[in-house]
Amino acid sequence: MKKLLTAIFAMASITCALAQETTTSPLEISGSVDTYFKYDFAKNPLNGKTSFVTDHNSVSLGMIDIALKKKTGKASFVGELSFGPRGQSQSIPDAAAGGSSFNIQNLYVNYDFTDQFSMTAGYMGTFIGYEVISPVGNFNYSTSYLFTNGPFQNAGIKATYKFSDKVSLMAGLFNDWNVYSASRGVSAIGGQLMVAPVEGWTAYINALSGAGFGGYGTIIDLTTSYQITEKFKLGLNAANYDIKDSSVPGSYAGAALYPQFAVLDAVTLGLRGEYFKFKAAGAVPATAFTAVTLTANIKSGGLTFIPEVRLDHNSDKPFFKAGGAAAPNGGQFSLAAVYAF
Amino acid sequence: MKHLLFIILALFSIKLSAQQKQFSKDDNGKFIYYQVVDSQLISKDTLLQRAKSFVNVAYKKSMIQESNTDSSVLAKGTMVIDKTILVAGHPSGEVSYSFVFEARNGKYRFWLTDMLYIPYQRDRYGNFVPTTKIGVPLERTPGKLGAGAWKDILNSAYNKIEKFGDEFKKYLATNRVEKTKKKAETISTKKW
Repeated sequence: MKKLLTAIFAMASITCALAQETTTSPLEISGSVDTYFKYDFAKNPLNGKTSFVTDHNSVSLGMIDIALKKKTGKASFVGELSFGPRGQSQSIPDAAAGGSSFNIQNLYVNYDFTDQFSMTAGYMGTFIGYEVISPVGNFNYSTSYLFTNGPFQNAGIKATYKFSDKVSLMAGLFNDWNVYSASRGVSAIGGQLMVAPVEGWTAYINALSGAGFGGYGTIIDLTTSYQITEKFKLGLNAANYDIKDSSVPGSYAGAALYPQFAVLDAVTLGLRGEYFKFKAAGAVPATAFTAVTLTANIKSGGLTFIPEVRLDHNSDKPFFKAGGAAAPNGGQFSLAAVYAF
Repeated sequence: MKHLLFIILALFSIKLSAQQKQFSKDDNGKFIYYQVVDSQLISKDTLLQRAKSFVNVAYKKSMIQESNTDSSVLAKGTMVIDKTILVAGHPSGEVSYSFVFEARNGKYRFWLTDMLYIPYQRDRYGNFVPTTKIGVPLERTPGKLGAGAWKDILNSAYNKIEKFGDEFKKYLATNRVEKTKKKAETISTKKW
């Protein structure tokens, strides 16, 4: 590990000498605010098995998210903080810290040594998966099982080399998942190959191996989207996570498909169909979820209304009926308002 | 009170004049930013050389030369449109365009057309990136829900293209060879 770190820093120092100052960009300020109403068809808030959108029959808060970015010459930083349930108690680092008043979404510095090669160090949104914490980055307001069970964020140092607009490669060293400081040292290695084979189609093949949920494990992930026509976009996320100690529960595999169709300039309809399976571990048997989420995005300026109906199924009956009895199906309606600035 | 009234009227008239800025349409109904410039002191060849230098050197990161003849340059380019919140802001999208330059002795003309807008969205790392690869023509009539935002985009695009046009005219009026040869002035404190 030390040798790899030394090699990265040596490479960085050499290319640093080649770097030249360029212009300074103004400070960028952006962010979002979101709020939602959710109604569980069985009137039970415990039927939500994925992240966020937790409350039943309540107008509830998501989060306020504020991001700052500045670039001076070849160096830049991003600092992004969120406040509110989605960014605080429902985000993992906050829960681990016992509930702080905010959650860091991004906090990193970046240096573009050349137009092709850059290095980034700090705490970043994870490179794994299709969905993210910020509601602005997702089409659906509720989240997938793949998102909930994968990493949210990674602290570490990574190097990215852009071969062309169609191919780039990232490699980095990371802490364990979702922590501001490493509890098991800089113990994970990760990489991402980006390819854009045709105009509008981008695919990311990701791998992260090391300390993560349930101990040491390896996650392999494919995240891709293809804007096939002006109105139709298709996204796909597939992932497999194996914990090294096969007796520890938490290993999973799954796939989600995201077709989206713009019916009007301001209105897009989208479907998320997902299959997700927790693998058997020791005495714990495997269990599988299927979920279908129908979502609309209705945009007016910076505001997006997101009505959504979600139906989940698991034959092992992890859901609840209105009377509290176990059920194989869960269903919810939600209406969210997300303002991005 | 009179001063206050004057300031309000002045601001109102500035706003009105700002709103009046808009793209003209060409024969095909497409938006066009079209300029004809008198340039009696600079030869046609020099103008052409400077136009090529503008595309391939000054704007090499955002423009690609498509073709050229002994009197014209054709290029394609993109420019980033910003969303401003008080004094700060962030990129909100980009406009791609076709650029045409034609020179004659004593004058030249250039225009930007085929303008397509691609909105930006903040990615997982806090950077603004294109949401799609397929642009929307700036001439389109938006629905009621997006009308206000589209007006802002048109205003920003016009201002950015007007600034681009001014920079182009300034670039063509400047002799860069002499400028680089000129030594930086030094100040001596020995004599005074």
